[in-house]
Amino acid sequence: MEAPNGTVAPTQTGDRPDPGGYKLKFCTVCASNQNRSMEAHLQLSKAHYPVISFGTGSLVRLPGPTIQQPNVYQFNKTSYDSMFKELSEKDEDLYTRNGLLNMLNRNRGVKWGPERWQDWQVGIPRLEHASDRGSVGTEGGVADVVFTCEERCWDAVIDDLHNRGAPLNRPVHVINVDIRDNHEEASIGGRGILDLADSLNNAAKEERDAVGSATFDMATAASRATFDERVPEILGEWQERWPNLPATWTLAWF
Amino acid sequence: MSVADQIRQLSDARKLVLRDVNYYGQVIQATLPIFGPSAHVELRRWGAEFLAEAFASPAIQLGQKETLSLLVLDTLKNLVEDPNQDVLVLRSVIQTAASVYPLALRWIISNAYDTNTWNNMTAIKARILRLWENAPATLRICCIKFAQRVILAQTASINPEPRRGDPLDISLNMIPQNHSVLNVHSMEAEATGLLDRMLGALQENSSDVLVVDATLNTLSILVRMRPTTTNRVMNAVLSFNPLKLANAPMSPKTKVIVRSLEKTVRMLCIHLSRRDPKGPLAARIQPYLERLMQSRAEISEGVSRKRALTEQADGIEAKRQRTAPSLPNLQITPLPPGPHTLADVFTFTQNEGLRKFDVAVVPAPLAAKISVNTIATIDPGLFERALDGIRSRLAELHKAAERPLDPDTTALDVEDDDDYEPDYYAAEDTEQILNKLDSAPSLQVREMEKPAVLGALALPAYKLPPPPPLNPDQAVRVGQGTVTRVFGVMSTLSDPSTKKTKAGVNRLAASSFDKDSWITIITRLATRAAAGLNDISVKDEDGSKALGGTSLSNSIRESLYVYVLEDFRKRIDVAVAWLSEEWYNDRVQQRAASEDGRDVPVFYDKWALRLLDGFLPYLHAQDKVLTRFLSEIPGLNAELLSRVKTLCRDPSMVTLALTSLLYLVVMRPPIRETALDTVQEIWVEYEEARAMAGKYLTKWRPGFQEQQKQLVSANGNASPTGAGQPVVAT
Repeated sequence: MEAPNGTVAPTQTGDRPDPGGYKLKFCTVCASNQNRSMEAHLQLSKAHYPVISFGTGSLVRLPGPTIQQPNVYQFNKTSYDSMFKELSEKDEDLYTRNGLLNMLNRNRGVKWGPERWQDWQVGIPRLEHASDRGSVGTEGGVADVVFTCEERCWDAVIDDLHNRGAPLNRPVHVINVDIRDNHEEASIGGRGILDLADSLNNAAKEERDAVGSATFDMATAASRATFDERVPEILGEWQERWPNLPATWTLAWF
Repeated sequence: MSVADQIRQLSDARKLVLRDVNYYGQVIQATLPIFGPSAHVELRRWGAEFLAEAFASPAIQLGQKETLSLLVLDTLKNLVEDPNQDVLVLRSVIQTAASVYPLALRWIISNAYDTNTWNNMTAIKARILRLWENAPATLRICCIKFAQRVILAQTASINPEPRRGDPLDISLNMIPQNHSVLNVHSMEAEATGLLDRMLGALQENSSDVLVVDATLNTLSILVRMRPTTTNRVMNAVLSFNPLKLANAPMSPKTKVIVRSLEKTVRMLCIHLSRRDPKGPLAARIQPYLERLMQSRAEISEGVSRKRALTEQADGIEAKRQRTAPSLPNLQITPLPPGPHTLADVFTFTQNEGLRKFDVAVVPAPLAAKISVNTIATIDPGLFERALDGIRSRLAELHKAAERPLDPDTTALDVEDDDDYEPDYYAAEDTEQILNKLDSAPSLQVREMEKPAVLGALALPAYKLPPPPPLNPDQAVRVGQGTVTRVFGVMSTLSDPSTKKTKAGVNRLAASSFDKDSWITIITRLATRAAAGLNDISVKDEDGSKALGGTSLSNSIRESLYVYVLEDFRKRIDVAVAWLSEEWYNDRVQQRAASEDGRDVPVFYDKWALRLLDGFLPYLHAQDKVLTRFLSEIPGLNAELLSRVKTLCRDPSMVTLALTSLLYLVVMRPPIRETALDTVQEIWVEYEEARAMAGKYLTKWRPGFQEQQKQLVSANGNASPTGAGQPVVAT
């Protein structure tokens, strides 16, 4: 069932050793929780970050034989595995050629099935997801940073957070990284997201290493910016490294 | 035991409560001593974070949380009041306090004796509000969120009955006026003060983007759930300018910040206006969003101009170029390999700002104006060159599109644009989905955007199969559907409150989309649309059920009839307009028919009679509507007037019937005689009406009464009867 020429590009950071220590909890979001968010999910989990992923669409839509006949599935109800089996029965040749089978094969190795952002109950424990890649650290059902892969997904996430009314009082950085929806761009975008995650996590680690009393009442306060404050700076530096992945950011609330 | 070991044990305890929230009470009680004020900083961090998680968790019932909150307030107070406390510990403690505040308030409302608990809470609050002044931004944002929860708890909710179990709905409504500890007025005043302090972040043009974002993203629920805050919040938001940083030279960081701030405020505004798109809030937000868009466009233009200048700065021609900007240097470059959007194909500018500008945000009328002006003033030679450039790009794309599908670069994005539905729930069957896809216009648009599909443009045009023939029954049914919808629209349109100036003879029948126009359309649809068709079917099938047009017209008539009668006092003008159309159409049809000797059905008399019959029983003595109806409809006859006569059976209606008739006598001479005949009949038939009818007759038919008296005396004592046999005396 391996696609002959559509293998997901392995990243250099593929299976690096677990550095241990403090880790930010990440969440990746795209429209269908299939391609871009799952690629980023995989790459972040390979780098040993706690990560969960979602889609903001109303339904999971995959390309079909023509543009008018997409394959449509329900979120939270259909597993990647069953989609894989269904599509390989329908037209193995077509779905191998357009890379869908390869993608679904990757996804079924990451987690059970696509989850919908709007149905996610933030803060409800996710212990039953223990077999998902990147599940270690996400048991509490929250994230510190949400990466969306497209502007309208960012919009959907922000609008949804407004709707929820921020009952958890927990700040969350929501960052959009614009990635085109194809396998190649998803792989590049995944690397970009991982790079950003590394930079953010370093800043968060530094903040935690600055152990001790909060001396913010003193003049030294300015010299020791906290993680939250450094996010725009980090994002600006990252944007210079990845000029083709335009980013938007806000500090929102769960 | 080492700190690491302790944390490992604590993490196991956390796993336990995540699995079963009922253990929270035990675990919190057992662990509280471990992360007291003197504990190792890592333990304090872990503990504070654990508490923040516990009190945020939606898995725990509100009642259980309330009990738990009583356990932790002492510890929270000690942690937050330590002047040397670690920032991360404080961060979690403030988050916890934000979750606990409404719970503590709820507790003290029903347990006024427990002042100790409430004193702890107010001490924590006081400390947090002090921290807000000069703490690092990471703490300030949490202080802002804490303040937001205090405001939520201490202002009146939009729900008069607080929803049980919703921590966001613990509000001022729950506090009794005479509470022994809590003073409603001072609490509300405190909330107002905190709100002003929060909104200060927007007003003082703070450049601290983290704080501004954090503030903006807490406001939605206040606006929605706490009506007393709405105005203040909206004033602050709508006077906030997210683009003010954009004027400085833009570093990558500034660019990200400006874009992010602008989007954050835009999302909040869109979110709020979408909740009530017709409401007053949306009306205030719309112009703000438009202004924002405009200044964003200006800035991206300004940036490009600036950049253009700096690029040319070392050139010799720089000065002349600057004064003569009317010679744009059009560079037609071939498209780089790879996928392109439609916009890419049509874009020549190298300017990043312009390339990134999303034209879709410009309102369509404005865009049209700009386009027309630009095309009008553009140099034709230049325009021609640009068109040729695009033509050759398209040709290239066609060639490129014939290449085989590359799995790595094939677009996977098959979503329609507007598929984010906050109110969506899952049940959507295949048919619905198919319907949705059928009606999604975006698919066709997207088709154009996709390089893989662009190749399809070269294929022969796809023709839809011809639709199945529509049989008359279906046509009528579909037509009725349309008619029902028009009536639906009509009833939602309000009556124009101010009397419009009449455009007179020159007016167009239905030029504006107001109620009047729809009435005109619907009445003409009923009278004229099928005119000339129906009589044919009548002839052909002779008495059998008339088909097609006739039934539809009549069903519109039925609908109009019902519509008028639903509220005939208000809708009498609709009735008059309709009957005028019927009358006119009858005339036109008769004239046309007389030329070729056909028979045409006549509708006016039938429907005028039905309408009159319809509302007569509901008239009361003061109604002017009858007089108006009779004087304004285009034709009257004895039959119609005889219906008026029947009103006199009710003595209280005599005046109404007779004055209406008198009005006709005076104002409509062609019908005068018929009207007077009716008055006579009334005199003859209804004794109660005789006094008044006699008065009119004395004036308009002198001699009638005398004649009647003679008749009576000639016939003995019998009172004159002769219903339906008008006694014509003159």
